[in-house]
Amino acid sequence: MSAARSARPVTIDIALLGRPNAGKSSLYNALTGGDAKVGNFPGITVDVLEASAPLPGGGSATFFDLPGVYSLEDDVDPESDEGQARACIARLESAGERFVVAQVVDATQLVLGLRLTRELLEKRWPTLLLVTQRDVLEKSGARLDAELLERELGVRVLAVSARDPDVRERVLAAVRELAAGDLPRAEARAFEPRELAERAIRRPSLRPSHASRDSTARADAILLHPVIGPIVFVVIMMALFSAVFLVADPASRALDAILGRVSARVVATFGANLWTSLLCDGVLGGAGTVLAFLPQIVILTLALEIIDASGYLARGAFLVDRLLRLAGLGGTSFVPLLTAHACAVPAIASTRIVRDPRQRLRTLLVLPLMTCSARIPTYGLLIAAFFRHRGALFQAAVFVCLYCAGILAGFVASLVIGKTMERRGPRTLPLVLEMPAYRLPQVRVVFRMGVRACTRFLREVGTVIVVASVALWMLMKIPAPGAPHDPQHSVAAAIGHGLEPVTKPLGFDWRIDVGLIGSFGARELMVSTLGVTYGVEQEGKKDVAPLADRIGSDPAYSTATALALMAFFVLACQCMSTVAALRRETKGWRVPLFVLAYTYGAAYVAALVVHQIARALAS
Amino acid sequence: MKLVDLPLASAARVSALAVDASLARRLRAVGVFEDEAIVVLRRAVFGGPLHVRTSSGGEFALDRRIAAAIDVAPELDDTAEAAE
Repeated sequence: MSAARSARPVTIDIALLGRPNAGKSSLYNALTGGDAKVGNFPGITVDVLEASAPLPGGGSATFFDLPGVYSLEDDVDPESDEGQARACIARLESAGERFVVAQVVDATQLVLGLRLTRELLEKRWPTLLLVTQRDVLEKSGARLDAELLERELGVRVLAVSARDPDVRERVLAAVRELAAGDLPRAEARAFEPRELAERAIRRPSLRPSHASRDSTARADAILLHPVIGPIVFVVIMMALFSAVFLVADPASRALDAILGRVSARVVATFGANLWTSLLCDGVLGGAGTVLAFLPQIVILTLALEIIDASGYLARGAFLVDRLLRLAGLGGTSFVPLLTAHACAVPAIASTRIVRDPRQRLRTLLVLPLMTCSARIPTYGLLIAAFFRHRGALFQAAVFVCLYCAGILAGFVASLVIGKTMERRGPRTLPLVLEMPAYRLPQVRVVFRMGVRACTRFLREVGTVIVVASVALWMLMKIPAPGAPHDPQHSVAAAIGHGLEPVTKPLGFDWRIDVGLIGSFGARELMVSTLGVTYGVEQEGKKDVAPLADRIGSDPAYSTATALALMAFFVLACQCMSTVAALRRETKGWRVPLFVLAYTYGAAYVAALVVHQIARALAS
Repeated sequence: MKLVDLPLASAARVSALAVDASLARRLRAVGVFEDEAIVVLRRAVFGGPLHVRTSSGGEFALDRRIAAAIDVAPELDDTAEAAE
């Protein structure tokens, strides 16, 4: 070995490959200490985590946590997780740096892991095998013969457990060995996975034991029970929604109050002028809106990550598959559709778990109809304005109806879209889903997921909302040519008046029209916009009572108008962030423009019908 | 017989995947392949998917239509062994 060679710092890329649920993420977490940034792979849309770890004796290894892969040979949609994982490896290979594919194999599913190994060896990449869940295997009294696997496969094999304190040390040492040498390529081997697995696992008794599966089987007996199962599922989903409502609301109010105080400070210090108004009403107002929704995003993301990591997600998909097939979707669509009830933007990203491209597209087209939490302030305002006298129970019932309306609209839209799509090709791929053993989610991994969801939301949705808020502020402050300086005569109002002929049959007037313009930037802006056009100074966004009174007693608005506006809000995709996310996800404008067209079209018609019927009934 | 008709907890071996080639490749990759011992753990209500376990340690949810296209040969001996 020349002096020059040993002097050069050793760097190496390690791609963690493996079946889904093999334990890649836990191992990745143990190897990198959880520190991760999202990797920069051009053309790759899925989040690939990457982090470096220093190697013993100098140099560093960069670990990439790839999405799960069942096969390297099977035809796969390049947009799916599997397709993206393969594309990542292709990128690493073509980047020319030294890289190793480390296959993570679950020791309790050795046969299945070895089937992938057989395909992997044929690729002749530098390969390393990390057999995890060693502790689970040993608990059942069995032992893995790593040396035998090494001999038979011709690659380095380590038996590890993500819970071992020395796992990082051992893996990095093995990587160092590989990195210091010539990085030998793997050779294709012909072997029978079942036979090899049988030889590699030493059991004290002849009967194969599945300790973890026993507890899984016991849990499934309850969670997949024909009666108890669906009940538990509904309870969990309802608990989720309630958490989003109940826990998020006080957090939002608190954030709102803080920002209110900051605003007051700014005005007190610098006086009430155009600039402080821009800062307080425009920028801080927008920022406040974003921060107010953060708790809901965090709760839902954490909950879904826990549900996924624990293994319950597959059970949920199993339970709802039949129901979703009625709409032409499938069990896996339930995650994006559920997420969409907090916010459509992370939901759009999560459609990646839907394997069938047609089903994924259909889910994307339909999820903006789910009642996202941004619609709640407007519903709250309208209900408070027009159903004050009806009592809390009635009001709650209206809320529930609106949620159901979103879901029903989604069903119908999916069926209609399906009819047109069916002419183009065969039906949706039927469900083939692995049901993993139940596992206790690791707190650190889940926590990191929450942090990532937050930063992503702030980056993708937050910036749009603040920009929209400022833009709307400008439209409402800038007077129409030759008009006095007040909201009633601003550019926004002029546009609102211009729209009146179109929206009159719906019972809307220019104020609502201005609100609708504003709410396209962000639905949450509807309430504050109405506040401005009514000249009502609000202490905080949640204090809708004064505004509700004004709206409720305005003779221009009837209950019919309120109902029509609700119908409009249920259907219309009023969200620039959603449009942006759809464009990002589908890499084009066709899908977002189609969603805008069909949702606004349906919203207009629905509001029209509701208004006319409600008016007819009232008279 | 077809997998969809296999009685619960009754041992069998997969003999053929009578589905189109790409679906067959997907099934094999995921873990349902020829010669695997298989057991049906439960069926979802109203014609929903089947929950099966194979001897390689995997458990899967399979659409009923797929189960209706998978040929299995029932094993007449020890039911418990194949379920393990």
